[in-house]
Amino acid sequence: MGAVLARRLVALIAVLIGLSVIVFVLQTAIPADPARAMVGASASPQVVAAKRHELGYDKPLPQRFADFAGRLVQGDLQSSLRTRNPVADDLATFAPATLELALVSAALAAAMGAGLGLLLAGGRRAARIVRLGLVAGASVPAFLSALLAIVVFYSGLHLLPAAGRVSDTLVLPDGPTKLLLVDSLLHGEPNLFLSALAHLILPAFTLALLPALAIARTLSTSLDRVLREDYVRTARSKGLRERKVLLRHALRNASGPALTMGGLQFGLLLGGIVVVEQIFAWPGLGLYLDQSIAYSDFPAITGTTLLLGGAYVVVNFVVDLAQAWADPRIRTI
Amino acid sequence: MTRTLRPICVAVAALGIALSGCGAKTKSSAAGTPAAGGSADAANATLRIPYLADMSVPDPDVFYDIEGNSVILNTYEGLLRYAPSSTKIVGDLASSWTVSPNRLTYTFKLRPGVTFHDGSPLTAKAVKASFERRLAVGQAPAYMVQPIASMRTPSPLTFVVKLKHPVNPFLAYMASSWGPKIIGPGAIVTHAGSDHGQKYLRTHDDGTGPFKLTAFDRGRQYELTRNDAYWGAKPAFKKILIKITPDIGTQRLELQNGDLDAVMHSFPASELSSLPSSLSVVKADSFLRLLFYVNTAKAPFSDPATRAGLRSALNVDQLVAQGYSGTATKSTGPYPSALLANQPPVVYKPDPAAAKAAAAKASTKKITLGYTADESGVQRRVSELLQAQLQAAGWQVTLKEVQLPQVYGYVKDLKAAPDLLLTTNTPDAADPDTWARILFYSTGGLNFFGFKDPTLDKELDQAVSAAPAKAKQLYQQVGQRIIDSNSLFFLGDVKNVFVVRKDLAGVQQVPAYPWTLDLAALKRAGA
Repeated sequence: MGAVLARRLVALIAVLIGLSVIVFVLQTAIPADPARAMVGASASPQVVAAKRHELGYDKPLPQRFADFAGRLVQGDLQSSLRTRNPVADDLATFAPATLELALVSAALAAAMGAGLGLLLAGGRRAARIVRLGLVAGASVPAFLSALLAIVVFYSGLHLLPAAGRVSDTLVLPDGPTKLLLVDSLLHGEPNLFLSALAHLILPAFTLALLPALAIARTLSTSLDRVLREDYVRTARSKGLRERKVLLRHALRNASGPALTMGGLQFGLLLGGIVVVEQIFAWPGLGLYLDQSIAYSDFPAITGTTLLLGGAYVVVNFVVDLAQAWADPRIRTI
Repeated sequence: MTRTLRPICVAVAALGIALSGCGAKTKSSAAGTPAAGGSADAANATLRIPYLADMSVPDPDVFYDIEGNSVILNTYEGLLRYAPSSTKIVGDLASSWTVSPNRLTYTFKLRPGVTFHDGSPLTAKAVKASFERRLAVGQAPAYMVQPIASMRTPSPLTFVVKLKHPVNPFLAYMASSWGPKIIGPGAIVTHAGSDHGQKYLRTHDDGTGPFKLTAFDRGRQYELTRNDAYWGAKPAFKKILIKITPDIGTQRLELQNGDLDAVMHSFPASELSSLPSSLSVVKADSFLRLLFYVNTAKAPFSDPATRAGLRSALNVDQLVAQGYSGTATKSTGPYPSALLANQPPVVYKPDPAAAKAAAAKASTKKITLGYTADESGVQRRVSELLQAQLQAAGWQVTLKEVQLPQVYGYVKDLKAAPDLLLTTNTPDAADPDTWARILFYSTGGLNFFGFKDPTLDKELDQAVSAAPAKAKQLYQQVGQRIIDSNSLFFLGDVKNVFVVRKDLAGVQQVPAYPWTLDLAALKRAGA
């Protein structure tokens, strides 16, 4: 296990180094002038040059990269050009909202995907109708399904809120986890919990739609294969009920490909977060990244990219572990 | 009831009990008053408006954007301001002022009885400290106080400024949205730290304005609370919630559903005519202008004759009418009309034959038109119309959406920059110098394609300190030079468009303060 962890740690570092290089190259390739954007249109050329010097944008490329890499190694993500806060502080402010949304979306995608996959494998007619609905939902771009959800559930039915993480009249608890569903319960504030839950439903469902469908398809295909195996036939011949055969014997052996798909889909889910957070005014990393891009706020863009990239690697590692648990035949992960 | 359904019903019942039995901790209950989240009184006492993006920082010596103006202008005050719907400068924290005959010395008499949000009184020393802080912080708006040679405080309520040389727009700077704001000692002395209080003022304020910044929850919302010690008329609203809502579609639906009271800008113009009866539209003059830049540093538009042909291809009436649906008018001069009288006229006469002839002679017909991204999509729409007009003249136009910081970078490599650029911009104040210097001067920050005319630069350098009549003449000359150069086309004067709920009264704005309302003047109709 130690060797596995070490290998994954090396992979994580390699991915982060790769991402850093890509982000740096993109920074230098885009002909933007954040120094001018910071000091304003009325600043003299001397003031612009001084700001460029202060930010280090006037140095030769190799030296800029060396400075950039040196700071990263020390964990210094610099300060945001827009908020003027250390990027690490900004990430700590915005990441919990994204983490909460991503966790709930992932759980929703897993539950919907597994449920639908099982129903499809069981040959239920209702499952085909549900799948049709999900295919329709997943066929439209995320921003359209988000807007449609708002129009129907907020504007039309007045059932769910359209924007934000919680009602604007409520006071947010100060930690400890910054995950509102958890903190509200720890602080004994059920109304805050319910408000946070109500605000989560639409963005989480919108994000979960596509991954759920992919997981369901993979799981049902895998189950179809497993259900034709000899040991399943043996279980049936012993007189076990079909439900028990499916859940006790087939599901665990069929879950490997679905878990792999889940890991891949988590990456897509993180990609979709930028759009979904913008439409639902969700104060997370996607919103922070979007605003930073509009400002060519390179330190903020770099920090967010590295954090999301790192999260993707970690999640895939967790998926690998889950696969090993589900199928002990997998020796090497 | 089946075994499967029973736990679900129990959960729903528990949820219902939780919903009905527990009081939420609201802002008001946290402050010690009865919880009033849902009461009509509380709802009437709170105004909700959206921002499309977080403001950079609520520090008036650093802030230099447009989104965020309403926070700065309602928490801080300067010495002067503009009267509603006009360019007339009136006293704000200064009750009167005089200018010496040589236009070097400005004496401001301060309003008595004004206190900062930290409770300390407004004094000339606090004003001087605020001006000094702006210089020390040295960020974008610092240029407005850089011409100051010295400052004196001969009495507790008298502040005297001496300039290094006459600066015609100096009073306009004092009234500007981004002009010097007076900050209390609570921020710049008590919380000065090692950065002149910059860290503290990223989440707090210490102004004298009608509202205090009581919460700055980045990414979520900002809360302004009425300043009950305000020297002026007491605002009707006790609280202002500014909610970060980055999608204009979501803003529109929240406005229609009553979760917002107003949308401050970027409402899709094409939808203004079909609003529900609960909403009304306020269109007001602004200095925001639609500008069409020409890259004169590379072919084909390095040739003056080709640029003249480009002008012939423009049907500006169509661009403004179809692009803006009644929320802009065709520009008639090189400056926003309220900034300068008797401006040289901007004339557009579409001439398809001349336009085709110029395009046919051009060294290349393949050109790129960049346009800055905007939430309402209006600039994309105008760019598409421009593309159609230019293609009719024989050009092959590729559209490219760009971000503003990219546009700032064009001047570093003009050969790699687009051939044309469509964007909007606004001057810092109601003075021709604040427009000409950034837009027309060879090193001006908004002279994105670095157009150079040494005579124009010289005239602008003279104008800033010249006697008023001479300065006016010089600004007119400069305007004519830009028109003749065909390096920059002034297409439209864009309105400030506020979509508000019908029960909102007291809508007041200033053309020089874009996307902003006087929040202290707003009230519910009948309240």
